[in-house]
Amino acid sequence: MVPVQWYLLLAAVLFGVGLVGVLIKRNALIVMMCIELMLNAANLTFLAFARQQGNIGGHAIAFFVIAVAAAEAAVGLAIVIAIYRTTGSVNVDDVRELREEG
Amino acid sequence: MTNLLSLVDVNLASAASFRPELALTFGTMAMFILDLFWKNHPARPARLATGALLVLGVAAALLVSQPTAPGSLFNGMIATDGFATFFKWLFLLAAGLTVLISAPGKDFPPARLGEFYALLMAMVLGLFLMASATDLLMVYLSIELVSLVSYVLAGFKKGDRRAAEASLKYVIYGGVASGVMLFGMSYLFGLLGTTSIGQLAGRIQHLQASGLPAAATKLTLVVAMVLITAGVGYKIAAVPWHMWCPDVYEGAPTPFTAFLSVGPKAAGFAVALRLFYGALSGPSAVTAGFGEAVGGLPWPAIIGVMSVATMTLGNLTALAQTNLKRLLAYSSIAHAGYLLMGLSAASDRGVQAIMIYLLIYVVMNLGSFLVVILVAEATGSESILDYRGLAKRHPLAATAFAVFLFSLTGIPPFAGFVGKWYLFVAVLDRVPGPGGNWYAVLAIIGALNSAVSLYYYVRVVRAMFIDQPYAEPRQAPATPLMYQLLLSASAVAVLVFGLWWTPMIDWTSASLQIFKG
Amino acid sequence: MTQTTGKLLGWILGTALAIGFVVVMGQLAIGPAAQSMVPAPATSAGLTEVLFYVLAGVTIAGAAGVALSHNILYSAIGLLMALLGAGSLYVFLSADFLAVAQLLIYIGGVLVLVLFAVMLTNRITEITVSNTSLGLWGGLMLFVAVAPVLLAVALVTPWATITPAAAAHTTETIGDALLSRWLLPFEVASLVLLASLVGAVAIARKEIKAD
Repeated sequence: MVPVQWYLLLAAVLFGVGLVGVLIKRNALIVMMCIELMLNAANLTFLAFARQQGNIGGHAIAFFVIAVAAAEAAVGLAIVIAIYRTTGSVNVDDVRELREEG
Repeated sequence: MTNLLSLVDVNLASAASFRPELALTFGTMAMFILDLFWKNHPARPARLATGALLVLGVAAALLVSQPTAPGSLFNGMIATDGFATFFKWLFLLAAGLTVLISAPGKDFPPARLGEFYALLMAMVLGLFLMASATDLLMVYLSIELVSLVSYVLAGFKKGDRRAAEASLKYVIYGGVASGVMLFGMSYLFGLLGTTSIGQLAGRIQHLQASGLPAAATKLTLVVAMVLITAGVGYKIAAVPWHMWCPDVYEGAPTPFTAFLSVGPKAAGFAVALRLFYGALSGPSAVTAGFGEAVGGLPWPAIIGVMSVATMTLGNLTALAQTNLKRLLAYSSIAHAGYLLMGLSAASDRGVQAIMIYLLIYVVMNLGSFLVVILVAEATGSESILDYRGLAKRHPLAATAFAVFLFSLTGIPPFAGFVGKWYLFVAVLDRVPGPGGNWYAVLAIIGALNSAVSLYYYVRVVRAMFIDQPYAEPRQAPATPLMYQLLLSASAVAVLVFGLWWTPMIDWTSASLQIFKG
Repeated sequence: MTQTTGKLLGWILGTALAIGFVVVMGQLAIGPAAQSMVPAPATSAGLTEVLFYVLAGVTIAGAAGVALSHNILYSAIGLLMALLGAGSLYVFLSADFLAVAQLLIYIGGVLVLVLFAVMLTNRITEITVSNTSLGLWGGLMLFVAVAPVLLAVALVTPWATITPAAAAHTTETIGDALLSRWLLPFEVASLVLLASLVGAVAIARKEIKAD
């Protein structure tokens, strides 16, 4: 059996990579992919603890997270399509109508 | 198997105290269906608004008639208590006003109004669940329900660049915040083996008594709580999770901005209070500060620092704004800072002060946004320049706006003063206790911030009453009667409750019971 | 001119904050915590272990591909790898139901959705993504600041150790749990899906020309 620590380590790395990707990437689609990575990291942690503690609750939570992530992806991608229609670009740096003046 | 059946029995029994939420659920679906009728009918907005108000009214009636005894519902997922009921009334009030504001306006074309109302009902349901959630999973799901609907409604204007950008920024910041929060929850689940908020404090004590290395568990607890705070802080737009706020407020349709500035903020505070104050402060925490329960960190001090940062940044940035929607966005960030003062006080008084303030804030902030809508419909702009000479063009709007702005500052005869007074009293109550000097500093900074805020609020009032019009006013369209009624009613309410505040005090002190499971 | 000065100041401040954060965490939290660290139980390298390392490697490589690739299609493929790797690891965690759900919903649904969006907005591959607000170095700095804390949390905390039960089918248990203990979240999740689907249609469809 692989000890739970290794799973947590993997999840922490996955979360860190996702967080860094969110901050350094300017393409909205890639940013959303990085958010999916972060959610997967959380799921991995939940499942690792569920096995560790024999607690089925972790499975239920991970299931809900997958469902909500699908909903979030649907809304997020709809917004990306909408913004692509109005601006012809999904690069966050090109999205600059809203900002401080001066 | 019997165990399973008993769980099902609990679920069935819980439905009796869940009727307002059920009404909102079916109301959402009914609005989706109503949306299909009366295409191209001139009275479509009025009829749809009546439908939405009917749904809210039914929910309100069921809320009145539901049992008042505090208790746990659906196997510990949510709780019914006076605290949750107070916030539910707040959300119904805000949603009702938003429906009334949006019906005669031009922000939503009649063809899309039905969808807006249906999604708004779903959002109110999410807010209800946020206020009553007693399980981390329910907190996550209800925040997601509110957020997902908000993303859509923020970008509801078709072909509008600002709206599309607002919703893109919102969805990205929101997705990151909820992902971070979820990761924090997963650590808490691993360490404590539960997601029930009511059991957290007990499990933490058990953990500390179990002789495991204290430093390591402490570190994990602190990391988990910091990550969860990010999710909650994003909902109430506290620094450093406020960046989405001005852009989203500016880009969203104004009636929805108005709702966004009061509804999710209040719900975020309900979650924060339940988590930080209700669950994590044990009986001993009254003197030691509730942070002692969680990793031995001085949490009231950390929230105090957040409060100072939030109000200072909000107020200082608001000084430079010329767009009224942005100005009100930064002002709402500053108000989140004032409200955090009450959370930092970590006392029943602080909780009550937050509740009073939120109640007043709903009325004065929705009123302010109503004036913004009115001026935008007359001039097509949200710039402060177009408010010059408003007192001559539209005396009622100018007077009401002045009342709301002075109330937002917290000047005596208006209701905002009462709310601020209670917040400051809650903080000053802490001064004789441990760490009292820091509470004194917090109160002083709060007072200084109020003085700063006076400057930019008065700037708007001066523009309306003293400055000459920027351009020759165009023929303004007639103001809908609904706006005049709402403006007068809100302004009168702000004045009356500024002088006669006992009902608010009685109601909030009766609503202080937080179910602890 | 003032803008560059401001940016420089921001960078200096940010760097100082990050360094201070690492030092403080090391001194106050991680240091004392690490002293009580329990050595991880020694494991013999069986087939499970080897497979775990391979899958973990695939997952991390995929994640790095998402976050660092300059071509959005490579990012999507990286996401596929990461999701597949994580999904296979769910099997090792005796979460067979979740592994299938991951495969069906994430890879079958979400990833295909993302690929559709990539194809529909095809011009974006031509946009250089190197111009960023935080920059690669800022991101690395953040990673350096956050990673030790999270790694310490994962490794140092004495997670309650219970001998894991033998792998069993979880589908039935989860089904029971969803309709008893987790009934309310289950129903709320259905409403979340309904609201977001209607919302997604409302926001992505073309303007109705009638009005």
